[in-house]
Amino acid sequence: MTIPKDYFDWAAKLFDPSRIHEKPEALAGIRVLDLSVIYFGPATGDFLGEMGAEVIKVEMPGQGDVTRILGNASFFWKNISVAFFCANHSKYHMGIDMHRPEGQALIRQLAARSDIVIENYKAGTLEEKFGLGYRQLREVNPRLIYVANTGFGQWGPFSKGRASYDGLAQAVSGLTAITGEGEAPTKIGNYLGDWFGASMSAVGALAALRWRDRTGEGQFVEMAQCEGLVRAMDWTWLYAGLTGRDRQKVGNGDHVFTPSGVYRCADGYVAVVAGTDREFHGLCRMLGEPGLLRHERFATAAARRERASARAMDAKLAAFCGPRSRKQVEAAARKAGVAAAPVMTAKDHAESEHLRARRSVWEYEDPMYGTMVEYGPAPKLSATPARIKWAGKPVGFHNELVLKRILGLDDARIKALEAAGAIGRWTEGRRGAGPPEGWKGEGRLV
Amino acid sequence: MTRAAAPRTPPHLGEQARPDGRWDEWIKAAEDPGGVADKPEALDDLLVLDLSHGHYGALLTATYLAELGAEVIKVEPPGGDPARRWGPADASAGGDGLAFVAEARNRYHLTLDLTTREGRRLLKGLAARADVLIEGFAPGYLDGLGIGYRQLSALNPRLVYVACSAYGQFGPLAKNQPPEHDLTDQALSGLLHLTGDPDTAPVKVGSWISAYGQAAWGALGTLAALHWRERSGRGQMIDVTGAEALMRYLEYSVLLYHASGAIRGRTGLYELAVFPYTFVPVKDGWAFIAGYTDPNFRALCRVMGRPELGDDPRFNTTLQRTTLANEIQLRDEICAWSVNYTSAEILDKVLADPGPGVIVFGPMNPPTRTLTEAHWWERGCLKRLSDPIYGELLLQMPAWRMTGTPPRLKWACRPAGYHNSLILQKYFGIGPSRAAELAADGVL
Repeated sequence: MTIPKDYFDWAAKLFDPSRIHEKPEALAGIRVLDLSVIYFGPATGDFLGEMGAEVIKVEMPGQGDVTRILGNASFFWKNISVAFFCANHSKYHMGIDMHRPEGQALIRQLAARSDIVIENYKAGTLEEKFGLGYRQLREVNPRLIYVANTGFGQWGPFSKGRASYDGLAQAVSGLTAITGEGEAPTKIGNYLGDWFGASMSAVGALAALRWRDRTGEGQFVEMAQCEGLVRAMDWTWLYAGLTGRDRQKVGNGDHVFTPSGVYRCADGYVAVVAGTDREFHGLCRMLGEPGLLRHERFATAAARRERASARAMDAKLAAFCGPRSRKQVEAAARKAGVAAAPVMTAKDHAESEHLRARRSVWEYEDPMYGTMVEYGPAPKLSATPARIKWAGKPVGFHNELVLKRILGLDDARIKALEAAGAIGRWTEGRRGAGPPEGWKGEGRLV
Repeated sequence: MTRAAAPRTPPHLGEQARPDGRWDEWIKAAEDPGGVADKPEALDDLLVLDLSHGHYGALLTATYLAELGAEVIKVEPPGGDPARRWGPADASAGGDGLAFVAEARNRYHLTLDLTTREGRRLLKGLAARADVLIEGFAPGYLDGLGIGYRQLSALNPRLVYVACSAYGQFGPLAKNQPPEHDLTDQALSGLLHLTGDPDTAPVKVGSWISAYGQAAWGALGTLAALHWRERSGRGQMIDVTGAEALMRYLEYSVLLYHASGAIRGRTGLYELAVFPYTFVPVKDGWAFIAGYTDPNFRALCRVMGRPELGDDPRFNTTLQRTTLANEIQLRDEICAWSVNYTSAEILDKVLADPGPGVIVFGPMNPPTRTLTEAHWWERGCLKRLSDPIYGELLLQMPAWRMTGTPPRLKWACRPAGYHNSLILQKYFGIGPSRAAELAADGVL
């Protein structure tokens, strides 16, 4: 296999991260009204925002989104939970009380001027309680794309009265039952159903946008967290349909690729997998045992999948990795054309030159929070790169800017809305809702 | 100070519309899985070339676009994509691996040997007209064959070209990178480090989740690029790795490290942000239970018949409940109760609670138990079909519901080269005799 000598220079120039902010944005001019809370909703808005959409996040005045105060073992940083920022980049923050008719009217006005609305309330809540459901908002904006994220969906036996969190989606989908080993469940360490669901709902929103680009028609798009995980279980259902059985739990092993495992090294863990014959040959070279290939227990992929062969190979890999550092194993594997990767921690991410060069770890300066280090956009687009512009801001931080710029309201009307309680900012002294202590107005826009 | 007059609002925006009929009935009819075929498709004007080759993330990217209506031509080598052999050892469908059969849907299957000049000529003929090309080869491999983005974009500047790989097309570790696998993606992403018990080795997610994430980002990037193309007339290249796909799902891990120096680790069945939010044993297996805000926790205590726990100084604030020592004691209390009931009995209690507060509860379903629940079947989330080639198949359906342009399953996987004559005739005017020559030359 010949890779042209200049390929990587060409690609580095094509994607040059230092030029990201000079390039146009794919979704420039698209306005997203984000009425959602926690992650499965705000993240959908965030992903569209990374691609250039203008996202207006609406929160309840006073305390705002609960992720402002939920987080890692009650750790607060600059008066807010670090958990808030990952789903709320480059947004405009509004505090609107949806319980008040004037607040509802404002949201209708904003929806009339938006392309996409995102919500993640229980099915029907926005229509029945607030008059802000799809059937109501499409009256003021027939081109509207309305995205609703839920646990179980807008209808169906489980959608009535049942709330959902990510952990529940892991459990009822069947994903927990095929993860790990033994009888006891393993809870997946991030809110996978929220995040995967949010990226899928952004895909749905953009498919609807393409349809609107073609026809001018808006529509309702829904994504259910549980169904997202059901969708993401590869051959589980096909296997159950054919055999009537559940697929066996194999921990860090793999039904298709053997060997596959996670091994302790001198300084952490490393994952090793060899899928093809060619990769297995490399693995034998790496282990210093090229003769293994001729052994009938390892000569074919089918033989390697046999339990005894897999165990024997597992022991060899454990012995190889044990005394070595993760870097040493990774380097040896690379040389041999084998996939081996360190089990990376957040510290490894923060210190990775590769991830920083790709802006997958993104360092930037925010006027309110100073230096930020966060995970950057996942897909890299050469002509319209996704980007982070600023960090999440306090509740209602951009009220005036949005009301003046988009709705053309003057100071008197804005004051009246404040007096009526329809709009508001953070409550002083509420952790997570307001700016950091000692804030002197940096980043204020109006 | 006098109170200002109430703001004026345009009349049609101030009044809320009163829709006819209940929402759940209306939306059920509007999304009716039985009516999908009567509606148009969002992406049915797109031609997509799927050059995934032993790459599940690239395959899935094309699958999502095919579900949303794109015409997807899967280009395989004459012997078929090596991914056709991927599946568990103890079952297959029509001789193909279940992993491949499950996801290679809605496509036209064309064989082309891209290492031959004629194979590349035909590929270029398709790429000249395609909207999207998706591949998962080693970075630079297709470029070396003269059919990478560099060459194809000169031929078709409107092309959106998606390249999937383990370490990406650029960056210090891009050169000489190893092949992409789900397990190594999960390791690099940091998700592996977060899953499992703190004192044992990390545990991977059981499905090939990095490929599903990579495909979500690949499809999202593609659709954003296509929207931009409407205005600019220009395509572009998109670089997606499975590791970064999952890393973007890791919440605040790297910011926490930046802010405090703390390294987020594994917490097993405990949870640093919210509690209770855990798995507990029940009479008939395991279940998930959560009630972490004050009102929700009080609701849980009420349903457990232990209202006094809501006032217990160890548990009466969110702060107290997220201290590890208290989490352990609290989970023990819940387990001592939950183990006496089946998950159905507990769900009944949860749904019967009048509030205030909401408890989130559900069984840990083995997949075969999920299959017994009416919800998924009614919503068309899963489907049994009788395929003329692959036989009885049970497949998961597209993840989105859309009232205007619902995604759909049209047909299952087809054998390699199944649509050769159709594609050759349609795009090149090549009839049976020339096709036979190409086959004899090893091009098809």
